[in-house]
Amino acid sequence: MTVRSFLLRRLVLVVPILLGITFLTFMLVRIGEQDPVAMLGGPMADEASLASIKAELGLDRPFFVQFGIYLGNLVQGDLGDSWQSSERVADEIRNRLPASLELLIFSVLLGSLVGVPVGLRSAQRPNGLFDQVSRFVSLLGFSVPTYWIALMAIFVFFFLLQWAPAPLGRLDIAAFPPPDVTGSYLIDSLISGNWSTAYSAASQLALPVILFSIIVAAPIIKHTRAISLEVLASDYVRYAKAQGLRPRTVRRIALRNSITPILTFIGTELTGLLAAVSLIELIFAWGGMGQWGLNAILLGDFAAVQGYVLVLAVFSVAVFIVIDLLVLLLEPRASLRA
Amino acid sequence: MKKHARLLSGAAVAAVLALGASASHAAENTFIFGAVGTPAGFDTDAWLTGTLETSVNVYEGLTKHGITKDASGRDVIDAATVEPHMAESWTVSEGGKVVTYKIRPGVKSPFGNELSAHDVAYAWERARDRKRVGNFMIRVGRIEAVEAVSDSEVKFTLGTANNIFPRILTTVFPALTDSKVLKENATAEDKWATKWMEKNTAGFGPYHVDSVRPGEGAVLVYNENYFEEKPYFTRVIYREIPSPASRAALVKSGQIHWADQMPIQQLVDLIKDPKVKVDSVPGTGAATLRMNPNFKPFDDVRVRRAINYAFDYDAVSEAVFRGLGERSDSILAPAFGRFYTPAQTYNTDLDKARALLAEAGHGNGLDIQLEYTDNWWWEESLAIQTKDALAKVGINVDLKRIPKTEMNSRRAIGKRDIPFFPHLANAFVLDPGYAFYLSAHSEGSSDVNDYNNPVFDKLVDDLIGEQDLDKAIKLAHDAQKLHADDATFIISDFPKTYAVTVPCISGWLWYQHDRVVWKHLRCDG
Amino acid sequence: MTDVAVDKSAAPAFTGIGRVLGVARRSPTFAIGFAIVLVFALMAIFADVIAPYGPIETFARQVLTPPGAEFWFGADGNGMDVFSRVMYGARYAFGIAVPAAIIMLVIGVPLGLVAGYKGGMLDEIVLRLMDVLRSFPSIVLALAVVAATGQSLVNVVLVIGFLDAPIFARLVRSEVLGLRSSGFVESAVAAGNPTWRILFVHLLPNSIKGATAMIAVRMAWAVRISATLAFIGVGIQAPTPEWGAMIRQGSEFIISGEWWVALFPGVALVGVVLGFNLLGDGMQDLLDPRRKATGK
Repeated sequence: MTVRSFLLRRLVLVVPILLGITFLTFMLVRIGEQDPVAMLGGPMADEASLASIKAELGLDRPFFVQFGIYLGNLVQGDLGDSWQSSERVADEIRNRLPASLELLIFSVLLGSLVGVPVGLRSAQRPNGLFDQVSRFVSLLGFSVPTYWIALMAIFVFFFLLQWAPAPLGRLDIAAFPPPDVTGSYLIDSLISGNWSTAYSAASQLALPVILFSIIVAAPIIKHTRAISLEVLASDYVRYAKAQGLRPRTVRRIALRNSITPILTFIGTELTGLLAAVSLIELIFAWGGMGQWGLNAILLGDFAAVQGYVLVLAVFSVAVFIVIDLLVLLLEPRASLRA
Repeated sequence: MKKHARLLSGAAVAAVLALGASASHAAENTFIFGAVGTPAGFDTDAWLTGTLETSVNVYEGLTKHGITKDASGRDVIDAATVEPHMAESWTVSEGGKVVTYKIRPGVKSPFGNELSAHDVAYAWERARDRKRVGNFMIRVGRIEAVEAVSDSEVKFTLGTANNIFPRILTTVFPALTDSKVLKENATAEDKWATKWMEKNTAGFGPYHVDSVRPGEGAVLVYNENYFEEKPYFTRVIYREIPSPASRAALVKSGQIHWADQMPIQQLVDLIKDPKVKVDSVPGTGAATLRMNPNFKPFDDVRVRRAINYAFDYDAVSEAVFRGLGERSDSILAPAFGRFYTPAQTYNTDLDKARALLAEAGHGNGLDIQLEYTDNWWWEESLAIQTKDALAKVGINVDLKRIPKTEMNSRRAIGKRDIPFFPHLANAFVLDPGYAFYLSAHSEGSSDVNDYNNPVFDKLVDDLIGEQDLDKAIKLAHDAQKLHADDATFIISDFPKTYAVTVPCISGWLWYQHDRVVWKHLRCDG
Repeated sequence: MTDVAVDKSAAPAFTGIGRVLGVARRSPTFAIGFAIVLVFALMAIFADVIAPYGPIETFARQVLTPPGAEFWFGADGNGMDVFSRVMYGARYAFGIAVPAAIIMLVIGVPLGLVAGYKGGMLDEIVLRLMDVLRSFPSIVLALAVVAATGQSLVNVVLVIGFLDAPIFARLVRSEVLGLRSSGFVESAVAAGNPTWRILFVHLLPNSIKGATAMIAVRMAWAVRISATLAFIGVGIQAPTPEWGAMIRQGSEFIISGEWWVALFPGVALVGVVLGFNLLGDGMQDLLDPRRKATGK
């Protein structure tokens, strides 16, 4: 199977999944009591104005007509308008996604940089002291709610110690965002040589990234350990040992064989994290897509909820495809999963 | 990080901002307004996040209320007087049914267009066609026609002479816009340029929108053509800071000048802080719980009265409003001057409550549900204290939090199916007839508990048309008394409107819309 | 409700001191997890005995009193005793986790059995459903469903149960696939057993092992996600003494320095979730001793 036919096959399989999710979300937001019409009308709306708003939003049409229109617009890249902000949902997502990704990517990098070595080290001597401690810490990471640890950290580092800036988003209130290149304020301000903005962006990023990386690292530690143990117990590593190779060489062989499954795991983890990051965003007023999406769900902002969920789904589907491609590139001998 | 604890004066803020913005702003006074959300539109007919907060600074009326001093010597707006503003004079004829306003010359929008009678007629035509808030004003003001008699004269024809109409013209409903600009930005599907107004303004007031950044905020700048005195602040950074705790922290550290919509929890703390100035006005809206008489057991006036007697007014003042509110005792507020009568019908009296319940056949207890949401910060807290208080007379209150949109749609006209819930209504027109009509007349759009008493409706209708002041006062008093007897409201405290600022800010003048008017503000020292 | 949880997860430990010690030696993780869960279970059962005040009893004049002799964990923004509320909160943790786990099993296990045994159309549907759920982050789905269907304890439990059912379906299905062609199933078929008998009498006991180890882990998840929903403002709401809802209220006071409202319910939440996670981890060790070495 060539890479191209593989990609094609995957894309074809993706369509019904995305369609299913779109329909599910479209139905979900509409079955409840959530109804934006009265909210938009304000306290002085009479029945005529409510009817006119309803017609303006297209909510007076039959359900399947509404869904058909939505799909029709969707294929043209139009995700509809948010009634809460009157913005186009596609624009909102485009503007806010970089904020979420900045937080996510830095956290995943940090979480992996800590988690992978710790997991590997744990596997060196299973049930040794280091392993026991790291397993417990990892379980703790699984058990601590993101939002709670974030609140406590804000109390300690902002309120008590004043080390951290006010949890107010990506930049100090007096700083202006740098010219947009990558979407990351930190990287963009470094590129443009705007040191004070870079400092501001870095200090705003520090606390949420550290906190979120704990959440990211916990499963990485657990799975790296498991993968590494399995590799160490595998025939070829045993064979390498039996050959009398030096322990360092054996470890290197083991590491090389662990990389692909570890990367695969981190990739899989990424898909859930784009949603999980929304809680950190909420507490640090990050202004990213997650915070916006949560709000949309709470307010019953139909088009925004649909757009948010769709982006999450597309993201995870894309990540899975990329992982498979990576595996293909790293291990050309591996057979392609359909 | 000491950097975050600096106190910025207006000039220092301007200097900091100048680093990032163009240098031409360096000499301006910038006001940093810590708001709940970025304005989602500037059309007062489409009520979105931040619309009113900005609109009252972008649009102004043909007339305005006079300013008088209250008992404490503070400047307050005078409900009784209406003065010329963008109209320089007016004539009244046909027994008050035809009013013609002469437009003040030289009132210009930032686009350089001068306000004409056609702009006024356009605004009302737009309101009528859009069937929103402006249309409600047309109905309560009994406005039948608005026409431009000449470029500078606009004629209003009323169904009946009434007191609400002249006061409506002080408001931003509908907004007086530069119709030339709006027409330029209208499209075939959007003939009233509503889409354009989501991002732009074209008013004749002191400020206009410079830019909007979703999720971050907006920048408003001074309208160079504004016809009155140039305000102290010529640039307003309208910064989105959704968390009240964050707004509190920022005003404490001097990073914002004004922290808008602060809940009581933060206020208790801020009042004690010497780095923050807190001022307050009761306003026109009291926190109430409303009982819908179409639902059992609220169909029985004895039950409604019993609940009013069982309510623990002191505990609510203490626990919910933390001693900072002000007890309200009538559907009308003291801001209405002589129309307001201190009724004080209900005080906590558990024996009376029990007797009434027994009489109504609920001597062995009663189960009711209280639904609430978070339109106001005090809803949950009030609900909890209510549950606690009513338990003492054997009423078990089941609390249910529902989403905001559900609350708003279920209490809207045409539905009104929530039996028991918290509410607060502000009277955007400072007229007692308007306030009654809005909240309790069977046709009022904020009669959210579907109170329907023909006697009360008649009193209100008469009051709206009554030209004799003494008779009007009598009608207003009767209406308050009747409304209290029917007991469909539990009236607790005025949560009040607060000005939470850095100490240098002065000049705050409260308006009935409860939004801050920036042009009065200044920063000294 | 609560004691069911204890019985279920701890059944092997109750058969004698010797065995308890044995289990504890074989898996200290299990022992610690079990002890923690037991403490919280007792807290749930005896909440009304331990708590000095009612969970929603308000003291209007003592709003936000710091921790002290009168209120051990302080008073919250409504003047309620945080300590009493944390105790009662345990009831909600178990009251959600246990029925949710039952729903997961009742739906997931038969689905996995049938899908694995019969294959075909049903198997395909289960697989596709899993695909959709895999690309749909559970927190967002749970949030959207609860927000749309109305906010009540029952809805939260149902949503959590339904969301996790496919995990059990998948576990059981893969076990059944391996057992389908094994001798005892074939002889059972040859003996003329009806399908339901083969499924529930022959296949179920042999394919449920992985699922039982998973239960504690998913209960940890159930407690966590229900608290997360409450924290966001969906599902269980104040004044219900649910830990997530309490942290939500406490979050308003963090920046102004009233830390106790959010701290204590959070500690309890971490405790019970950690307890279930340790329990789950330990159970996997016990059920599959080989795993302890490989960590798989």
